[in-house]
Amino acid sequence: MAFFITDRCIGCAVCTRVCPVGAISGLRNKAHRVIEQLCFDCGACGRICPHGAVLDAERNRVRRIRFRKKWPKPVIVREKCISCKICLDACPTACFDLDYTPGTDDTIGYPILARPRQCIACGFCETECPVDAIHMVKQAL
Amino acid sequence: MGFGYMGQVLWVNLRAGKMTAEKVPERVYRQYLCGTGLGAHFLYDRIPANADPLGPDNILGFLSGILTGTGSLFTGRWMVVGKSPLTGTWGDANCGGNFAPAIKRCGFDGIFFTGTSPRPVYLCIEKGRAELRDAGEVWGRDTVDTEVFLKQTAQCKHPRVACIGPAGEKLSLIAGIVNDGGRIAARSGLGAVMGSKRLKALVLGGSARIPVYDRSTVRALTLQCNEAASFQPPFVSGEMTPHLGALMRVLPTQVSTDGMLYKIMLRKWGTVSMNQMFIEMGDAPIKNWKGSNEDFGPEKSAAISPDAFAGHTIVKYHCYSCPLGCGGICRKDGKVETHRSEYETVLSLGGLVMNNNADSIFIMNEMLNRAGMDTISAGGTMAFAMECWENGLLSAKDTGGIDLTWGNSAGLIALLEKMIRREGIGDMLADGTRQAARRLGRNSFDYAMHAGGQEIGMHDGRFDPGFALHNCVEPTPGRHTIGSQLYYEMFQLWKRVPDLPDVNFLYFKDSKYEFDEDKARAAAACSCFMNVLNGAGGCLFGAFLGVHRLPVFEWLNAATGWTYTPEAYMATGKRIQTLKQAFNIKHGITPSANVMNARTLGRPPMEAGANAGRTIDIETMMRGYWRQLGWDEQTGRPGPPAKGAG
Repeated sequence: MAFFITDRCIGCAVCTRVCPVGAISGLRNKAHRVIEQLCFDCGACGRICPHGAVLDAERNRVRRIRFRKKWPKPVIVREKCISCKICLDACPTACFDLDYTPGTDDTIGYPILARPRQCIACGFCETECPVDAIHMVKQAL
Repeated sequence: MGFGYMGQVLWVNLRAGKMTAEKVPERVYRQYLCGTGLGAHFLYDRIPANADPLGPDNILGFLSGILTGTGSLFTGRWMVVGKSPLTGTWGDANCGGNFAPAIKRCGFDGIFFTGTSPRPVYLCIEKGRAELRDAGEVWGRDTVDTEVFLKQTAQCKHPRVACIGPAGEKLSLIAGIVNDGGRIAARSGLGAVMGSKRLKALVLGGSARIPVYDRSTVRALTLQCNEAASFQPPFVSGEMTPHLGALMRVLPTQVSTDGMLYKIMLRKWGTVSMNQMFIEMGDAPIKNWKGSNEDFGPEKSAAISPDAFAGHTIVKYHCYSCPLGCGGICRKDGKVETHRSEYETVLSLGGLVMNNNADSIFIMNEMLNRAGMDTISAGGTMAFAMECWENGLLSAKDTGGIDLTWGNSAGLIALLEKMIRREGIGDMLADGTRQAARRLGRNSFDYAMHAGGQEIGMHDGRFDPGFALHNCVEPTPGRHTIGSQLYYEMFQLWKRVPDLPDVNFLYFKDSKYEFDEDKARAAAACSCFMNVLNGAGGCLFGAFLGVHRLPVFEWLNAATGWTYTPEAYMATGKRIQTLKQAFNIKHGITPSANVMNARTLGRPPMEAGANAGRTIDIETMMRGYWRQLGWDEQTGRPGPPAKGAG
């Protein structure tokens, strides 16, 4: 089941810009709607909506986090990471890159949050990491 | 909708340019899993008998595994299926990299192509939409250029690309399909099928979530598996590998092989770790299968030692969901930057043609990756050409002045260039040894080493008869990645399926060459297990850890919510194997005709080297294997009805 936009929506369209899969449609200043077939429950629309108009798949209201800088971000525990690249694949906004440490014997690349501004705090990386090496951490302003 | 799988496949009619999503009932997944099993389910029904593999009736499928994207490890293999133009049989190939989850992220377990496009196209799926786009810009380009171009053109965040190169476009029967700039689903000639359909590439950019029934159990199993996968003692050295191989050759006894040894070596060097060890043991064929370790001894093979390749590795990499990381990118003299060659590549372009010039192997590896051509088949075919040259069947006039004396690395590079371009003698050789021998005629068939038309992997059946058996009996003949006595020891299937025969911790090596009913059961079990592993999207190297360390059966239950026993999954594997064999029967294949060239079976036996004096009684072995699968032991035909049985 997908997320849902209630009649609180005023059509500001800020959610359409943050949705990574183009799952929200609607004209400006008109109520928007979620395209169920495309929505994959990342919740970014709810976190950004200034009017609290988004319900999650269980029909609970999604809490807005006013400043995007405060959205939780993934923190990677390098000691646990096995470089399996599942997080790179799971991330819908391509936030991660592999980081290589030049000048050492370790030629394996490990994921780093290379583009934090693209992160939508979906937490898919944390959910899918097979070895618990990623934690979503709340950010302070 | 179920768990673990996406519940639908995409059908693309290239002639009409139409696409249809087909829902797949849960019972089909329960019967055939995903991957090659799901492919066999569709292709058995939908490819008409005796269809031309390069015609519009053939179907080409790209599939992901049921465990791919579920949080399990070693489950990032994607598979291609179709009727093989190289062998005329069931054809499949699989590959690592990062393409496997992309299929599921687009919402499908498989994407199947029917018909032939009137012009070159590629399939692009992004933002929930699938469309065929004109491939005029990339037709003719090599695989690396194609991938770079298509990734730049795509609108999605991280597109994954699988494509063919010039070899597939020119319908070379030894062409494969490439992803990640040089990782290739090489076997069965399915790149030619893609070329025949004028399908240049798939560009996948989906973001669908993959449903998992019990993620916490999957994760608990994963953490256990990772403990074994991450164990890595620091003391291994590349210099020891030929000595280890020589020791294993001279000892009359052998310890049952635990795959942890291989795992440690793969993690450190990748598959090239086996180069010298396997030559010394007698596993690696030399000089088109007529030479031995004595012809390519340690002083000669030192140039292709594990350290020779590791020294040029600038970056190691992991395939999707792999904790091992046997891949690497090498740079040679600041010029050639290429995927680190695999063992199969180094031996087929090295020992098989008596070439110990590592530079030339770097160059040919990159040429083949870019062309999208199978390194095993290319090496095998060049070895055939060299033996024809040695025996006067080919002359400088035929080769355009190229000297094909054994070990002439410059000649090999020049010949390979012609094969990729299908120029002159290259046109004759570009379809593998069987076709080349048919074209050349005379007694050249004596020098064509293949099983059912496919060149044989770099594992000698005279060393491990299990390799010989699987090369001959698998529905896709000439495959080295399904089973052998060594693989059976490493899979340790008896630890989950107690009815299967155990292997003694210490045994006399001579017993390897005495074929009994237990060995037949072990061989059949390897085939069944590999069907389960392929259905799961699993990696053979992960399976080397053993099923007690790589919990495939337990992962399958946790990811899907099913409650099958390992025995039930093995029955599923048998069902898939039977269906693939039934596919061959439907297409007029005589299973007993896929026997390898007599030389590879020790007929006559070698006079020197690690495998001297050995002859493989392949007919007895094949009968035993077919009997264990419940098929007719004389003909290899499964009894009707094949589909759904088991």
